Amino acid sequence: MKRIVPALLLALTACGAQPAAEQAAPTSLTWAVETQPITLNPQQWSQNKVRLLVFNQFDALLSRAQDGSFGPWLARSWQVSDDELTYTLELRDDVTFHDGATFDAASVKANLDQFRVPGYNAAVSSIQLRAYKEAKVISPTTLEITLTEPDALFLDFLASPYAGQISPKSLKSARDLKFGGPDLVGTGPFVLDRYVQGQEIHYRRNPAYNWPPASAAHQGPAHLSEITYRFLSEAAVRVGALTSGQVQVIEGVPATEAALIKKDPGLTLHTALNSGTSFSYYFNTSRPPFDDQRVREAFREAVDVDAVLRSVYQDTATRAWSVVGKASPFYDASLERAFGGDVAKANALLDAAGWKQRDAEGYRVKDGKRLSARTFASAAYVRDRRDILAQAVQAQVKQNAGIDFQVKIVDAGTAEKALDENDYEIFENSRGDSDAGAALNLLLPGKGALNRTHFSDPELEKWIAEASATSDQARRKELYTKVQRTVVRDEAIVFPIYVPADQIAAQRSVQGLGFDPASGTPAAAYDVRIGT
Amino acid sequence: MIRRLGAGLAVLWAAATASYLALLAAPGDTVDILVGDGIDTPEIRAAIIAEWGLDRPEIVQYLAYLWRLLHGDLGRSYQLQRGVGEILAAQVGPTAELTLAAAAVGVTLALVIAVGTAGRGRLARGAASAAELVAVSVPPFLIGIVLLAVFSFTLGWFPVSGAAGPSALVLPALALGLPIAGVLGQVLRGGLERALEQPFAVTARARGLTERALVARHALRHALIPAVTLAGWFTGSLLGGAVITEVLFGRPGLGRVAMDAVTGRDMPVVMAVVLLSAVVYVTISTLLDLAYRAIDPRIRG
Repeated sequence: MKRIVPALLLALTACGAQPAAEQAAPTSLTWAVETQPITLNPQQWSQNKVRLLVFNQFDALLSRAQDGSFGPWLARSWQVSDDELTYTLELRDDVTFHDGATFDAASVKANLDQFRVPGYNAAVSSIQLRAYKEAKVISPTTLEITLTEPDALFLDFLASPYAGQISPKSLKSARDLKFGGPDLVGTGPFVLDRYVQGQEIHYRRNPAYNWPPASAAHQGPAHLSEITYRFLSEAAVRVGALTSGQVQVIEGVPATEAALIKKDPGLTLHTALNSGTSFSYYFNTSRPPFDDQRVREAFREAVDVDAVLRSVYQDTATRAWSVVGKASPFYDASLERAFGGDVAKANALLDAAGWKQRDAEGYRVKDGKRLSARTFASAAYVRDRRDILAQAVQAQVKQNAGIDFQVKIVDAGTAEKALDENDYEIFENSRGDSDAGAALNLLLPGKGALNRTHFSDPELEKWIAEASATSDQARRKELYTKVQRTVVRDEAIVFPIYVPADQIAAQRSVQGLGFDPASGTPAAAYDVRIGT
Repeated sequence: MIRRLGAGLAVLWAAATASYLALLAAPGDTVDILVGDGIDTPEIRAAIIAEWGLDRPEIVQYLAYLWRLLHGDLGRSYQLQRGVGEILAAQVGPTAELTLAAAAVGVTLALVIAVGTAGRGRLARGAASAAELVAVSVPPFLIGIVLLAVFSFTLGWFPVSGAAGPSALVLPALALGLPIAGVLGQVLRGGLERALEQPFAVTARARGLTERALVARHALRHALIPAVTLAGWFTGSLLGGAVITEVLFGRPGLGRVAMDAVTGRDMPVVMAVVLLSAVVYVTISTLLDLAYRAIDPRIRG
């Protein structure tokens, strides 16, 4: 009966003598996405591509703007003590979870403490919550969080999907806690209805919602009554589904299709640069040939990056000049045009480094050894045509400088093995962290978990450590500028190539589409509506 | 019958063990796989090793795996954070639906074309032969894209994916069924034509049987034996083709799960899929043996 009554009401209102002009626009939408979520639990989240799903169902404590500043969300305000060890959050008092439970300081504490459960999320508890000591409930709307040491990235954590608030009741009762699903409930603008692995995920509007982040364009419940995300991993199929009107929105538009969509008057195309680090080649400085800075510089000079990007991505890619992405507030624009594309310089550097002879195939040789470099990429993680990009670089370094660049697309195990055994010369990577500093913490210090250059420099580490401890944004920018100049210009341990971006294409009638200012990936559907 | 069952179980055990060993021999260790693309620190590694019991000797892990298997527990996926049994249970239905529909499409088309063109003029046979050759040699991925571009994106007759009921099944079933129709059609027509030249066909014609009745009652039965033998092959081709078809059309199913599991080295899922495929093969080969008996009385002896 419960279901029939609203349906009847709906039918009655629909039959009412409303003039056609006043009829509301359709309020359901189908959106084709490339990537399936591995998990629906925000605290287990690991894919930037599914951020748009997380913030449909869940809200974080803070929101983050593109300039790196923070704004209120489920926390109205926050205060940091002078020693930067105590964070006091003032929470909203009007928020309820989808299961009817009240959101309050106790529930936030329960969510934080959940990360202490062994086996729940080892990565987050040892990185993002490394300094987390305890949370104290002062009143239902006041929570005091104590850290063991200052951590500038703690606010970033509070604004991340990991801080997506889950009803404490469902943390206990969810059938499959680490996977999530309809029984793991949040406070978000949409309620998860069903997830069909390999096919689609469906949400309906949360009618009680009235607590959007500071960046939202409206208040109150979401515009759409229902939204379906369909998983179509083939780009050509997504575009076909959009142009034939079977879906209204798609994300992940390849360069080859972008021109077609731009030409179509019925469609719109939106693009945004991702946050975090740019897609870069990191040179392994612990073994030849890249233990020699001249060879590192020569490799960068041997590639005409603009030409490579044009041939692989047409005119859709943005060239990177620093390890930090262009969308980040810490980006150092002074590095632009600082390197690359000088073939004569590349050859002079290699001659000086002793790679003078050439073998029968035209590659440079020293002491009977060919000048070669290998990169290993796990096939499962190759995206954005990075394999094609690598082939274009391969052709350029061979032709321009006689370097034998070998691109190995392998299975996950082989790629991990090459890294573990330090049996590679180039490591390729981009990270989508909302705070680029979080990525640099992993990539650059000598003991960093993702330090694949094996480069270590005490001064650099001091800057990075200070930049992650202070919450003074201007000071952080100053320190990260020094860091970027060191690794890109002075030491040349990294070869920035392009800034990853996300695209959304949609029927012209769909409005309010946008990108999450913190990550540059497509935003959740709260502001999306269908115009008339 | 009991011997057959025992042999079936032995095949399943061998399949489970072989897949276990193959993945063990593959490069990289399990902890690396579980860490994946992400952050790798000693604390994270220790936590993962403790969570999955990876510090036990390989043989103990293997025996524990077999023991759980005997209790019907397929284990937990490394990547998908869920029980393998649950994942597969949700995906078996759509794959069964797709493969059965594709098999029906393949067999029906093959029968219609073979019966319609066997022993007919050169033109009809040539055209059928050419169509079959194309269906067999064009990669299923391309067949799928072309079908989508024409019948979904341009004509709008069928949806690209989704739970739109039977109409969403048409294109995937065609994409997967056409190559089978190609091979099966060739074999059936060859068989029919050979049968129609046999002495019994001459006798039957002399008895006044029409050509149509001759094909339906006698020749088809002869032609079916080699075709049925092929059924084993096309079970494999259906399961393999399902991978591509499911991904292309955004359909749920085992093929897609299996592909993700293999590339991500999600051992528990891979092993469960191998086991399940082994069950399907054993079942089908048993059914085929029975079918031979029904088709060819000489085997019944």
